[in-house]
Amino acid sequence: MIKRLEIVLRPLAFIALALILCGAIFECAGYSALLMFESILDGAFLHPGAWEKSLRWALPLFITAVGVSISFRCGFFNIGAQGQFYIGAICAAFVADALVWAPAAVVVPLGIVAGMAGGALWALWPGVLRLRSGTDEVITTLMGNFIAGLILVYVTSGPLKDPSGSGQQASSRILPPSFRISDSHGVSPTIVAIVALVAVAAWLLVNRTAFGTLSGLAGRNPVMLQFQGGRLWQLGLSSFLISGALAGLAGSIELFGPNGRIASGFLPTHGFTAILVALVANLSVAAAVVASVFFGGLFSAALFLPILAGLPSAAIDLINATIALFITAKFSLRKRIRLGRAPP
Amino acid sequence: MIEIHEFLVAILRSGTPLIYVTMAGVIAQRAGVWHLGLEGLMIIGACATIAGIVLTGSFLSSILIAVAFCIVASILQWFVIEVLEADPIIAGLGITGLGIGGTALAVQSIFGSLAAVSAPFGVPRIGSAFGPYSPLSIFVLIMPVVVFGMWVLLHRTRFGLRLSSAGEHPAAARSVGANPSLMRLIAFCIGGVFCAVGGAELAAGSLQIFAQNMVAGRGFMSFAAVIFGGNHPVGGALAAMFFSLAGVIGIRMQIHFGAVIPHDVLLCLPYLATVFGVWITGRMRGGAKSAAHAAELRDR
Repeated sequence: MIKRLEIVLRPLAFIALALILCGAIFECAGYSALLMFESILDGAFLHPGAWEKSLRWALPLFITAVGVSISFRCGFFNIGAQGQFYIGAICAAFVADALVWAPAAVVVPLGIVAGMAGGALWALWPGVLRLRSGTDEVITTLMGNFIAGLILVYVTSGPLKDPSGSGQQASSRILPPSFRISDSHGVSPTIVAIVALVAVAAWLLVNRTAFGTLSGLAGRNPVMLQFQGGRLWQLGLSSFLISGALAGLAGSIELFGPNGRIASGFLPTHGFTAILVALVANLSVAAAVVASVFFGGLFSAALFLPILAGLPSAAIDLINATIALFITAKFSLRKRIRLGRAPP
Repeated sequence: MIEIHEFLVAILRSGTPLIYVTMAGVIAQRAGVWHLGLEGLMIIGACATIAGIVLTGSFLSSILIAVAFCIVASILQWFVIEVLEADPIIAGLGITGLGIGGTALAVQSIFGSLAAVSAPFGVPRIGSAFGPYSPLSIFVLIMPVVVFGMWVLLHRTRFGLRLSSAGEHPAAARSVGANPSLMRLIAFCIGGVFCAVGGAELAAGSLQIFAQNMVAGRGFMSFAAVIFGGNHPVGGALAAMFFSLAGVIGIRMQIHFGAVIPHDVLLCLPYLATVFGVWITGRMRGGAKSAAHAAELRDR
């Protein structure tokens, strides 16, 4: 019981610690920390219509985060969710662009499948390099993020460029309204249904299949896995592919849903936040629901910070970074107390 | 002939910041910690240098400010990894996020907007005695000395051996009276100084400007140079040179083949070179060994 309570309370304690630390930093920089907390709460949940906005960010975040947690569970630090998200969106955009004349009932599912395939492909090469030649996946997936960002710049200012678009940010042509699965608010029955489907499928995969059990074992003790007859190669590659496909799915949902187009450098912190969601949720699918709503709320509060507290929206990045700093700490009060006592 | 000089100047300019930051990664890696906070420390160093020059008007005080900030951030990272036993990779990414968000906040609150900040002057240049190389900064000149000094420190001194033993076999280090935890703290502090210099060279070595996203993965590239360079100061420096060579070739190719190959594809070259470098390292070391080693480092 105490252990369960600790699992719930630990992330909350670290989030509180991060908020306090950030509050202190903001006070030092001459902003009011109290006003900041107030406007975060207001922007995320209390303001009229705030819940819908928070959910709009939470839904894609949840999908990517579930993917991240599946690969982390297997012991692979696939931190390339950002790149896989971009490549997924790009592939979906190409399908939508090529089939503008076709009926939406064909294009949208096809585009989503293409997005998932693209995301999976962008996770495939780091996965193969890792499992075939021991190339560290942390670096390859990170580099993959930067390369995907450049591909996005190329695509939005080249093949898919919106000629009428002006301003600094290049973007693709906006999709015809019939292709959109939600309006710009981003919460529609279709998207909620997709997210629910992902949640149920991922929960079943993690908790009710051999893959889930063995991948958890692979993450904790790869040698034990070999004794159990599990194949690290298969497990690892499938976890890379699943996480990439889910990030790609989130990218295509952004395209067909609230965004309606892809722009160079859009949502640059999506992947990092998804990693945080997965870690705060302790790699559990059910807890990721709550965590993604929390971080979605933080994200939508970023729009309120400049208005209410005079803070730049980078403040939210700072809060996220501080949470990242502390969230994996193994520091536990019980352990320290036990260590302090004389051995029996 | 002038072409070659220009080419070398370009490589030294883009390679020197990477090399300094790579030294920080090497010393942390020797002490047994994967230093993924390099990216964030480099941003902090770059931002503090430019802001320091604008606010104080003195180069020396601005570099001292940058060093102070980077050391504080390094100590924070050490504390989280060593005392709170956080995962080094995630904590490193946290420090990187802290650098990105913190510098944005600082620039916004000091200068009122997120636009690029330019400084009236930068790192002192080496002077006209060096002919075509005169626009280079003094940090380029002392870079070989620093790399050699790192080699001496790590391979030829008692401290270096103790540091390496703290990374390779903490129990053995403890048995000869070295405190691994303290060794890592020292390594992180020295690394903080290198990151400050690397960031300063990046921001004030030639452009004298600080812009959001100006580091663009160079810190992570330096970390890759640590791996590719076999965890050796000279190897790391050569690896960093190789990555910056890829970048310079990309920029050169834009001039000659800009019409044929898209500009953004050429900008990918340093990242692709990094992936290639890490892949080669994995192949040479053998997949299983490096994977086990990685797991060992992470379990710590």
